[in-house]
Amino acid sequence: MTGRLRTGFALLAAAALVVSACSSSSSTPAPAALKIGVVTDVGTITDKNFNQYSYEGAKNAATTLGTTAEFVVPKDASDYTADIQGFVDKSYNVIVTVGFNLGDATIKAAKANPNIWFIAVDVAPCVDATGAPDSTFKCAGDASKLLPKLIGVTFEEDQAGYLAGIVAASVSKTGKIGQLGGINNNPAVVRYLQGFQLGALSYNPKINVQTAFFSTGDLGKAYGDPVYGKTFSTQFIQQQGVDVVFQVAGGTGNGTLDAACAANIVGIGVDVDEYLSYPSADKCIVTSAEKHLSSAVNQTIVAISKGTAAGGVSKFNAANDGIGYSPFHNTSITLPADVQGKLDAALAAMKAGTLKTCTDQCGTWTGQ
Amino acid sequence: MSATAPTARSRLSAPAWLRKLWLLLAESVVAILLALVVGGIGIAAFSGLLPNHSSFDLGLPIAAYGALWSGAVGSTNGITSTLVYSTPLILAGLGVGLGFKAGLFNIGGRGQFLMGTVGAMSVVTLIGSSTPGYITIPLALIVGAALGGFAGFIPGVLKATSGAHEVVTTIMLNYILVFTTYWAISGPLRLPNSPQPITVDVTTRNGALPIVLGRDGHIGILFALLAVPLVWFLLYRTTLGFELRTAGANSDAARYAGMKTRQLIVLAMTLAGALCGLAGATTLLGVVHQIAPGYDTTIGFDAITVALLGRSNPVGIMLSGLLLGGMRAGAQSMQISPGVPAELVDALQAIILLFLLVNVLRRWRARRAPGGSASASADSTEIAPAFGMVAK
Repeated sequence: MTGRLRTGFALLAAAALVVSACSSSSSTPAPAALKIGVVTDVGTITDKNFNQYSYEGAKNAATTLGTTAEFVVPKDASDYTADIQGFVDKSYNVIVTVGFNLGDATIKAAKANPNIWFIAVDVAPCVDATGAPDSTFKCAGDASKLLPKLIGVTFEEDQAGYLAGIVAASVSKTGKIGQLGGINNNPAVVRYLQGFQLGALSYNPKINVQTAFFSTGDLGKAYGDPVYGKTFSTQFIQQQGVDVVFQVAGGTGNGTLDAACAANIVGIGVDVDEYLSYPSADKCIVTSAEKHLSSAVNQTIVAISKGTAAGGVSKFNAANDGIGYSPFHNTSITLPADVQGKLDAALAAMKAGTLKTCTDQCGTWTGQ
Repeated sequence: MSATAPTARSRLSAPAWLRKLWLLLAESVVAILLALVVGGIGIAAFSGLLPNHSSFDLGLPIAAYGALWSGAVGSTNGITSTLVYSTPLILAGLGVGLGFKAGLFNIGGRGQFLMGTVGAMSVVTLIGSSTPGYITIPLALIVGAALGGFAGFIPGVLKATSGAHEVVTTIMLNYILVFTTYWAISGPLRLPNSPQPITVDVTTRNGALPIVLGRDGHIGILFALLAVPLVWFLLYRTTLGFELRTAGANSDAARYAGMKTRQLIVLAMTLAGALCGLAGATTLLGVVHQIAPGYDTTIGFDAITVALLGRSNPVGIMLSGLLLGGMRAGAQSMQISPGVPAELVDALQAIILLFLLVNVLRRWRARRAPGGSASASADSTEIAPAFGMVAK
């Protein structure tokens, strides 16, 4: 053992740590009215996707309210519960959880901690009669009554889809465009598609919109399988002869964007600005149908601080800056001159509540 | 250094025992402290780039380590959480360490852990909610350990029969087992009537491990702490353990002495796999309860650090498992209050490993140098396979 020198160094280092640890304290600010914690999904806080924008919203709200927002990025799915609990233990009173995957953990935490506000981003809470999460999606319980401080932040996807539809119709040369949804029984997906179709028709009444779904029952294939997504989409693009394709299918949909690039046609992203979040396909993404996560989280937290928030599902749309379309980063895709005017007019009409962006059976797929 | 040699004396007075532990762990302690210093420099250097910090902050490393410490041991919940995080690390660390002792470098912890999860989940799925927990839980743990053991048995047999190197076969088997797990969750183990591929929640089938400590301290903690003396006893107080260690130190000598080295390889890999599988089963029944496709773990690789840091000695593994578990538990507090990313813990873990390997390098050179110490100390042979992999 030749460790005497190293042992001495180690002791020195340990002593330095102890001394400096003792001298650092009383730097924490005085507790503010709201303590805001964000538990993101697995990944990073700078993902240009759900994690980043949800946290940005919380941070902006914190700045407005003169407090701070902290975040935790779980290492893997087994950390969701512990990470939410970490904020509970530190007496945070607003806890934001990001995305569908954290839905069940959030519902359980909301049930166990009825005095804490929980904001579940992009989750319509589905609970059974006791207020526990329901994996079978029967949703027998009324979440807004059973869990009155749980807010599910949701979006009117049809409005965002409508705007994307206008852009899609405007860049199509063949007059044939396609839309691919993850699953046909998910109301959020169907709303996007219904809005997209109406938006495309509003620009070009003769446009031919082809629709397909990746799966009818398997969420893994519907949202989590980019390889399958690419194979399926390549076939779809070839068979239908479309020259623009809109995907509403999460990870599977990234395969659609890859397929669009490979086929040299235009792709449209979903939920966030996919030109930024999915750069490997940026050369063929013209825009994305966006949920304004940052704005929605910000507004929800401010509403809580004002005492105007209520449990249950909270809807975001054009009127409260909850949805939109991504900027046209891609200069290689030329847009007709009139498209900006049409988009502005459509957004104004949505805000005024005079534009029908969904079918009568909004959220229920009834076939072509 | 006779501390861990097979001829170690059984009765030692307390100071001698402590001294033995120090000899065993000195290098690990140095590696940890050096890693903390390097990590601290890293935090300070990048402090201005962190999302919640706008400027260069020299005090941040201290704040980060303070939060890490208080998160891990600063409260009852923190201590419980440290123990919960340590449980799979200790179990899988014992598995990897047992392999090291027998001269095998088991990289298959990830796949073996997942097979343990699948095994336990299968029992809970098949058994129905009317079966009481005292039947479901032990059965689930046994099947989990057995399936994990099977995942270790395969590379063991491949090595014993064809000489296929276990590093290669376990790594490749990991991929197969990860996707087998996905298939199991979205196929046979899928909850009927659910549109999403997800398994049953074990709490609804009397399958959750009982909580024995604080808020979430499940009984699996005790299994991990009990496994430490059991593995120690196996290695140092049984003929089998002696044979395993001899085969690990020099398999030719072991064979010459009449030991069945091939069977020993298969047995060691199976036991290692069973311990990793048990880690997976206790994590499922004690912590996660319900799994969806995409469920994965880093325990298999973290366990390698645990085993190296603990010098493959069961007591050392327990201590290093507690250390890394505590870092994992404290990472969350560190993320919340000073806003230092939890990846720091991964970085620290990697730096510790790096310093350990650097020491190994020095020993290895000293041993090869003419006139160098000829006595192969037990704990350098443990890490030799690790170094061999780096060198090739």
